[in-house]
Amino acid sequence: MATATARPEVFTRKASGLVRVMSPFSAFVYNILTMGLIFPWTYLWAPGALPGGKLVWGILLAMVIEIPIAFVYVWLSTALPRSGGDYVFQSRVFGGGTAFTVVMSGYVIWILQWVALSGWLLSYLGFAPLFLGLGATTGSAAMSGIGIWFTTSTGIIITSILNALVAALILISGFKNYVRFQTVMIVGTLLAFVTMLVVLFLGSPATSMAKIDSFALAVSGTQNFVQTAIDASVAAGVDLNPPFSLLATLLVAPIAWTSLQWATYSAQQNGEIKNARSFNSQVFIIVGSLIFTGILLAILAAGLEKAVGTEFLYVAGAGYWSGVGEATVAGFWLWPNIIAVALTASPLVVVIIGLGYILNSHQIVHNCYIGMTRVMVAMSLDRLLPEAISKVDEKRHTPANAHWAYFIASIPVILLYNLYPGWVGLTLGVTFACGYVFVITCLAGALLPYRAKDVYEASPGAKYKIGGVPLVTILGATGFILGGVMVMMFMLYPQLGLTSALAYWVVFGVLAFSAIWYFLVKNAQKSRGINVDYAFKEIPPE
Amino acid sequence: MKFFSKKSSKKPTRLFFATDLHGSERTYRKFINAGKFYEANVIVMGGDIQGKLLIPIIKESNGHHRATLQGRVEHMASQDELTALIGRLDTLGFYNKIMDEEEFRAISADPKAVDKLFHEKARQKLSDWVDLAEERLNGTGIKCFVTGGNDDEWDVLSAIKREGAQSLIACENEMVMVDDDHSMISIGISTPTPWNTPREVSEGELGKIIEAMAAKVPDMDKAIFNFHDPPKDSTLDTCPMLDWTKDPPTQIVQGGQVVLYGAGSQSVRAAIEKYKPMLGLHGHIHESQSVAKIGRTTCINPGSEYGEGILRGCLVNFVDGEIQGYQMTSG
Repeated sequence: MATATARPEVFTRKASGLVRVMSPFSAFVYNILTMGLIFPWTYLWAPGALPGGKLVWGILLAMVIEIPIAFVYVWLSTALPRSGGDYVFQSRVFGGGTAFTVVMSGYVIWILQWVALSGWLLSYLGFAPLFLGLGATTGSAAMSGIGIWFTTSTGIIITSILNALVAALILISGFKNYVRFQTVMIVGTLLAFVTMLVVLFLGSPATSMAKIDSFALAVSGTQNFVQTAIDASVAAGVDLNPPFSLLATLLVAPIAWTSLQWATYSAQQNGEIKNARSFNSQVFIIVGSLIFTGILLAILAAGLEKAVGTEFLYVAGAGYWSGVGEATVAGFWLWPNIIAVALTASPLVVVIIGLGYILNSHQIVHNCYIGMTRVMVAMSLDRLLPEAISKVDEKRHTPANAHWAYFIASIPVILLYNLYPGWVGLTLGVTFACGYVFVITCLAGALLPYRAKDVYEASPGAKYKIGGVPLVTILGATGFILGGVMVMMFMLYPQLGLTSALAYWVVFGVLAFSAIWYFLVKNAQKSRGINVDYAFKEIPPE
Repeated sequence: MKFFSKKSSKKPTRLFFATDLHGSERTYRKFINAGKFYEANVIVMGGDIQGKLLIPIIKESNGHHRATLQGRVEHMASQDELTALIGRLDTLGFYNKIMDEEEFRAISADPKAVDKLFHEKARQKLSDWVDLAEERLNGTGIKCFVTGGNDDEWDVLSAIKREGAQSLIACENEMVMVDDDHSMISIGISTPTPWNTPREVSEGELGKIIEAMAAKVPDMDKAIFNFHDPPKDSTLDTCPMLDWTKDPPTQIVQGGQVVLYGAGSQSVRAAIEKYKPMLGLHGHIHESQSVAKIGRTTCINPGSEYGEGILRGCLVNFVDGEIQGYQMTSG
C-alpha cells in the first residue's frame, strides 16, 4: 500500500529518489577555479604581441562574447542534466561521428597539453616565484638558486610529471580525497589572488620601479634593472607608448578567452549537481561564475596598470614576446605574480601568493583528469574506446584505468612542451581547440529544438521564444558566430601563435586522428555485429 | 584493442535491457520499439515502472487551466497549451488528472482519495502499456519480459499480468526461457531503502527468495539473473549515503564531503558469486550506470534518465552461455 500525501497542487507517493551531491554554489566555485584566476597570458602575451590593445577592455569583451555561449550551456544543461557535457550535447544533436571527433580531438587530446601547462604553471609561477621571492626578501642565495632551478627544463619536467602523478594518485584513491583537498585549494587560491590585488593596488609606478630594481638585484645581481630593460626594449623596436589599436584590443579577447571559456565546465558534471534542471541554478553556476571571474580578471589588469604603469607592461611583454633578455629577471618573465612578489618586502605575502599559485596550478591538473576521464568512460561505454577504460574500481568508485591512461598519455606531451623547439608556441592551442568544442556545442544548442525536439520541449527553457523562434536558437547562433570568429582568429593572426606549420600539422593532425579512429572503430564494431550509432540514436517513440 | 570476444558459429541472441522508467510514457514507447530498432530478439524491462507524481491540472473558473510542474505554476489558456503540458507530463512520468478547484480541494484533504487516484492512474497506465506492447510486437517474434521493482505496488503490478497476452510476459518470480538455451529468473523487490518504498524485504528474506528462484534454473552457465537490486559494492550501486531518520532522506556529509557508498544487496552479490550465472541485469540506482565482472558474470546497470524522455539501456549479445559483447545505449 502506497503512503500517499497531498502537497500544494501536487500529489506524491513514497518512492525512491535520485540524490545529487554537488551544490549549485560548489559548482559555481568549481567553475571559477577552472577558469584559472592565475592564468597569466593575457597580462604578458597581450602587451607583448598586441601593442595598443587595452587589457581591461579586451577581458571584458571576452566576457561579453562568452555570455551567449554560457547561456546556451544553461539551456543544454537544463535539457540534458547529466554528466558528459559537450560529448552528450553534441552526440544528441549531431550523432556520434561529429561528437567523438570534436570532443576527442578538442578536449581529450588537446587537454593533455593543459596537463603540461599545469606543471609549467606550478613550477614556473608557483615554486619559482616562491623561492625567488623568499631569496630576495630574506637574502638567501640558496633560496634564489632553488627558484631558478624551477625555471629550467629539467625542473619543469620533473615538477610536471610529479604534479600529474600526484593528482592521478589522489583521484584514484577516491573522489572524496580530492574533495577534501579542493577546499584547501579554493581557500589558498582566493587568498593569494586577493593578496596580490591588494599589493598591486597599493603600488604606483613612482615607487614600484625602485622595488623591482631591488628585487632584480637580490635575485640576479642586476643593477638598474628597470632602466636597462626599458632601453633594451626600445632598442629592440618595441614602442612603449603605442597609440590605441582597436584590432589589438579585439585580439586581446581570444587570449582572455583562455580563462573565461571555462565558465561552462560544470556541464561535464551536471549529473552530480543538485537542481541541475533548474534554470535559475544553471544561470547562477555558469553565467554567474563567468561574470564574477571576468570582473576579477579585469580588476587584476587594472591593478597591474595601477602598480607599474602601461609602459612597464610593454617592457614585461617585450621580455616574453620579443625575447628581450634584459626585460627578464635571470631569464624569468615578469608575470603578474612576479611583479606582486617584487613589490612586497614581506616574506609572508610572498608565501601566501606562492602557495596560492601552487595550489591553483595543481587544481588545474585535477580538473583535467576529472573532466576528461568522465568523457573517456562515456566513450568507452559507447564502445569507442577500449572496454578497460570504463572499468571502475569497486572499493574506491573511481575509473582508475582511465586515470592511469591519461597520466601515461600526458608524459610525452609534457616532454614535447618543455623540450621540442616551437611547441611552447602552441600554448594557446588549447584555447583554440576547446574553443571549437564550445562553438560546435553552441551550434548543437541552436539546433536542439529541431534535432532533439522531445528533449527540448520537456526542458524548462522551452518556453523562452522571440518572435516564435526558440531563444536558445538565437543564442546558439550568436555564440557560434562570435566564438567562431575567435577560433578563426587563432588560425589567422600570428600574434595568437597558431599560424606556424607545426601548429597546422598538430591542429589538423589531431582532428584527422580522431576522425580516423572513429571510422576504424565503428567498422571494427560493425564486423562484430555492433552498431556504435546505437549509442546515440534516438528511438522513435511512435 | 579488444572490444568484443570471438564470434561463435551459432547465431547469437540479442537482448535489450532497460529499467526504472517510472511511468514515463515516452520512454516506454521507445522501449517497446527498441526491439525492432536495435534488431533485438528479446527486450527486458527491469522494474520500477510505476510513476511517482500525480499532477492535478486544475480547471479555473475562466476556463483556463493551471498546474504545478517542477516547482513552477504553469498557466494554460488554450487547448494547445494544455495538450503540450500533458505531453511533457507523460515524458516526465507524471500522472495527471484534470479537475476543478472543488474536486482538487476534496482530494487534497483526503489521503485515501489521493492513494486511490494514484492506483487508478497507475493501473490504467500499465494496462494501456500492455495493449501497446501487444499491438506493436504482435507478429514480430520479439519477446518482451517485464518485472516490477521496489517502487511498484503488488496490486498495481497485477495489471501487467494478462491472460492470453502473446508478446508482453510478466516475468517476476518466474523462470522463463529467453531463447532455446538461456533462462532468466526475475526478482523485483529490494532490500530496505531510506524511502521505505512499497516492496522491500531484509537481506535474509531476499536471500531466501533468490535461493528458491535459483532452484528453478536448468543450467546456471546459461542463466540470466534479472534482479532489480544490484550486487553490493559492484560499482553498479554507487550513490550518496543518506540519513534515514529524515523525511525526505538527506545526504550524509562528513568533513565537508558527501559520503558515497555501495547501496546494493549483499544477498544478490552472494548469489552471483555462488551460482556464477552468465549475465546479471540490474537497476535501482539510476545514477550508477556501469558494467562490472563478478567472476564470470557480466553485471549491467544501464542507469535511467526517464525524466528527460531518454531511454537508457544495454544491448547484450550472447550465445551458448557466453557474452559476445554488450553496448550501452541512450535512445
